[in-house]
Amino acid sequence: MTATTVSDPVVEELVQICGADHVFTERSARYNRARVPAPFPVHRWSEYVPDVVVLPTSAEQISEVVKLANRYRIPVVPRAGGTGLTDGAVPLRHGILVDVKLMNNILEIDMDDRTVTVQPGINMLKLNEELKPYGVIYPDDPASYPCSLVGGRIGTSGWSLIGGRYGHTRDLVISFEIVLPTGELIRVGDGGGPKIRKSSTGYQLKHLFMGHQGTLGIVTEATLELVPRPEAEFAAFFSYPDYDSAWRSTGSLAKSGLATLAGVVLFDEWKLSYLRRDDEAYIPQPDSVRCVVATAMYGTTDEVRPAAKRLLRIGQESGGNYLGDEISQGDWASRHDRYATPLHGRTPSGQVVPMSWHCEDASINWTALPLVREEWHEIVRRLIDRHPIFDDWGMFAYTNGAFKPWGDYLTEIDVGIWEQELDDESWAAWVQAKRDIAAVAVDHGGSISACHGACREGEVDLVPREMGGGFDVMKRIKRVLDPLNIMNPGKYLLDQAYEEGEPS
Amino acid sequence: MIGFRLAGQRPPEPTRVTDTVVTRYEHVYEVDPALMTEHIRQHDFPAWETHRIVASRWEHLDWMHAHWADSVVSADELLADPPL
Repeated sequence: MTATTVSDPVVEELVQICGADHVFTERSARYNRARVPAPFPVHRWSEYVPDVVVLPTSAEQISEVVKLANRYRIPVVPRAGGTGLTDGAVPLRHGILVDVKLMNNILEIDMDDRTVTVQPGINMLKLNEELKPYGVIYPDDPASYPCSLVGGRIGTSGWSLIGGRYGHTRDLVISFEIVLPTGELIRVGDGGGPKIRKSSTGYQLKHLFMGHQGTLGIVTEATLELVPRPEAEFAAFFSYPDYDSAWRSTGSLAKSGLATLAGVVLFDEWKLSYLRRDDEAYIPQPDSVRCVVATAMYGTTDEVRPAAKRLLRIGQESGGNYLGDEISQGDWASRHDRYATPLHGRTPSGQVVPMSWHCEDASINWTALPLVREEWHEIVRRLIDRHPIFDDWGMFAYTNGAFKPWGDYLTEIDVGIWEQELDDESWAAWVQAKRDIAAVAVDHGGSISACHGACREGEVDLVPREMGGGFDVMKRIKRVLDPLNIMNPGKYLLDQAYEEGEPS
Repeated sequence: MIGFRLAGQRPPEPTRVTDTVVTRYEHVYEVDPALMTEHIRQHDFPAWETHRIVASRWEHLDWMHAHWADSVVSADELLADPPL
């Protein structure tokens, strides 16, 4: 286990590397970087506090910090926006936390080859504000769009709300520079120069370093895809009297073949019940509105208008009732920014309590959605029966394919957690529920995570089962690239790579 | 510390919408105050503050539309222009 205490000489060396203004040992700087919005055992907060925080301003500084960490065998944990819904940025073994927020510059906008090169601390919303005068956007659109950062999107291999049209983070990041766990700086991409989208040379290393949750290095620069800024947006929300008709309609809409279709979202009955508590769009809806399907399109006006007509026809012919412009346009606009939603849950008696939001996500094929939904809700129901500090906030299923929104779905069950009431017993019950939820996803041929990553306590136990022989390869890669287990140790069961008997 | 002056613009009495929701202004909903007595208590808001929050929300959503595209196509208009 890598868990050496950071000593004064180390802090002094960090100051020499990053400068005194960029090294923090104060309690507030460290405690505020202990957790992310994923469920967190707040009663054990102090177990996850880094020893020292650095905010470097260059790749060279990061490289030197990582080399120092290797010399002293101190864990290094990278952190960008800290908005992830798995534990990638949580320092499980304390150590040096490398926060990349000061590296937030746009380095180049190339309108000829359609790329923008940025540092990892830039946020997509701010980037797109800068790109607007050029008539282009970088269409990576997570629920954390206003607050997550490019570096974290690469570290988690994020999912985008409009990925059915434009692709997800892995498709939109053309190449990037990364400091390896031993301190070397390399560039990985789809091959060739930093702006090549498709190559057949060698191994496709970009994907190896996409979604590693900070276990294989720290991204210091990225070259991103630019697409024409849409002339037109179209959103249509349909209601249904039951889940079965909504699910079938989701399949019909997603398979429409309309190139401008950016995404389809299925809301189940539990989600509608939850929204009827607090959401002004759904409170006044009649009881016949039991499920909802949301759709959205982007493109030129000449493309979107006729495609929208066809989409409306498919929605209505498959049993949907159009809910009107106000809810469709208003709710869709809010989907770019789910982290701003005020959160409160209910006790079983209906009393309002402060709760944090958590969603367990998985990739599930369309055919398996109905059964997974039933099994997941049953797991959460049993959890709430024993521990009424949890609350079932319903399920969404979002189209998950890149450029072609059909086949599998980012399926999430949202669970409210009254964190202040957590103790060891309720935390253990929650972790077991997460394990059970992940097992259902794998049993139905799915993946534990479509967008968050699967390194949280609980579901991580199912990763070897999902990956099979691939998990052994993953351990070997980790050990080769990070021989001292410096980089974000304790994640993804990768400590196993260093246990006696493991092949090196 | 600056606090809200409820007397500055006292909100109207609520009317019930559902078992768990009440309303004081058209299209603006509140959790039934009876459900906010044990763990979280409702704040008293003067009317102007509620209107400011609602207007800010709509302003934010309008901003988000303009952020992503030059125009928003209306389904209501398309549906009023048959055949689909």
